[in-house]
Amino acid sequence: MDNCTYEKLDISGLDAWFGDKQALKGVSLRIKPKTVTAVIGPSGCGKSTFIRCINRMHELTPGNRVSGVVLLDGVDIYKSVDSMDVRRKVGMVFQKPNPFPNMSISDNVVAGLKLIGAASKKELEAVAEENLKAVGLWKEVENDLKKSGASLSGGQQQRLCIARALAMRPEIILMDEPTSALDPASTAKIEDLVKTLKAETTVIIITHNVQQAARISDMTAFFYLGELIEYGETRTIFESPKSPLTERYITGRFG
Amino acid sequence: MANEMEYITKINAEIHEMLQIVDALGERVQNALDSKRRGMKDAAYEASVDIQHREEEVTALCVGSLIKYQPFAGDLRAITVALKVSYDLSRICRYLYNITEVLEEFEVGACEVNDVSALLKDARSMVSMSLTAYFDKNRSLASEIIERDHSIDERYRMVLSAQRRAPFGSGDCILLNGLTARIIERMADHACYISSETAYLVTGRRTSYR
Repeated sequence: MDNCTYEKLDISGLDAWFGDKQALKGVSLRIKPKTVTAVIGPSGCGKSTFIRCINRMHELTPGNRVSGVVLLDGVDIYKSVDSMDVRRKVGMVFQKPNPFPNMSISDNVVAGLKLIGAASKKELEAVAEENLKAVGLWKEVENDLKKSGASLSGGQQQRLCIARALAMRPEIILMDEPTSALDPASTAKIEDLVKTLKAETTVIIITHNVQQAARISDMTAFFYLGELIEYGETRTIFESPKSPLTERYITGRFG
Repeated sequence: MANEMEYITKINAEIHEMLQIVDALGERVQNALDSKRRGMKDAAYEASVDIQHREEEVTALCVGSLIKYQPFAGDLRAITVALKVSYDLSRICRYLYNITEVLEEFEVGACEVNDVSALLKDARSMVSMSLTAYFDKNRSLASEIIERDHSIDERYRMVLSAQRRAPFGSGDCILLNGLTARIIERMADHACYISSETAYLVTGRRTSYR
C-alpha cells in the first residue's frame, strides 16, 4: 500500500434503512485508491448493505433509504452523479457466480459494454481476451469462447464474472463473499486475482473468512449491528485490535 | 482472553513443566555455588537437554496450532509469545548448566562467592516472577521485573570491579566470579525478555527490550 494521501472513497455519516429497520448507523470511513479493504462481521451486521450503498444498489429496492455522504473521488455519488454512472465506475461481484446462461463465454465478458454500445465487434473480442487473461481464464477457455458461460466450473464462472466486471474498467470493485461457494483451489485463484487487481483498481471485499481477510486485504473494517466498530490496517486489526468486540469476533468467540 | 483456547492451555502446560525443571535446577545450582560444590555438571546437562526437547515440543504445538486454528489477535499473540518464552527458558537452563561448568573447571574452594550467590538468587527470583507475570498476564509485575534488571546490571559491574582489585594469584576465583556474574546477568536479561513478551501479550504493543 502506498502513502497516497487522497481518498478514493470518503464516506461519512452513512445511514441505511430497509423500510423502518435501520441497517447502517452513521458509518464513516475513508478508502485509499488501489487498496484491498476487507469488510468483516457476523451475519446481519450490515456488510452487504454497506457495499450496496457504495454503488447505489441499496436504493433499488422500494422502501429502502440511504442518508449521509459517499464521495467517490471527491464527488457525492448521491447528489452529483447518475446512478448508472456510479454502477459503471463501481463494479460488483456477487457471492454466487451469475454468468448469463444464454450467452457465450466471450459475450458474458463484454455484455456490459455491448449494452452501452461502446465498441465494435473487433474491439469487443479484444476486450474479452484482455479481461479473460486478466482473471487467468484465457488459457482455460480460449478454444471454447463460444460455449455457454454456464458450462464452466463454479470457480471459472466466478472468474468470468470478475472479467465481466473488469471489462467495464471500474475504478472500484465490490465483492460480496466471492469465494464462499468455491473449492479451496478456486478460492486461491480468486484470492491471487484480488491481489493483482489492486494494481489498477480499488477492491472492497466482504468475507466471512477472517483468514481470507488477513491474507488478501490491506485494510479491514469490522461491522457489528450496523455500526462500524473498528477500521484500520489489516495487520493491526488481526494482531492487536483495539475493540474487545473485534477481538472476540476474529478469535471466534462469537458470530 | 477470558476463555482461553484449549490449544493455548496445552502449550502453557508444557511451559509450566519447563519452568518447574528450571526452578528445580536453579535451586540445585544455587546450593552448589553457595557450597562451592562440584559434581552437578552432568545432571545440569541432562536437564538442559530435557528442556531443549520440551522447547521443541512447544514449537511443534505452536506451529500445529497456527496451521490448524489460524488464530488472530490475543490467540495469535499467545502463540508467538509462547514460542519466545519457551526459547528463553531453554536459554536460562543452559546458563544454569554453564555455571556448573565453571564450578567444575576451576579450583574454587577458597573463593568468596557471596556476591555472585546473591546475584544468582535475585536472577532466579526474576525468572520465577517473569513466568508468574506471563501465566497471570500481569503487566505491572512484568514491568517491575524489567526495572529490576538495572540493579542486576549494576551489581554485575560491581562484581567485575571487585575482581579487578582482587589480589594477584587468585585467578581461579576471579574467573569463577567474573564468568558466573556474566552468566547470571544474561539469565536476568532473559527474565526481562519474558516480561517484555508478557507486556506485548497483554497490550498488543511491542516495547523493544531484546
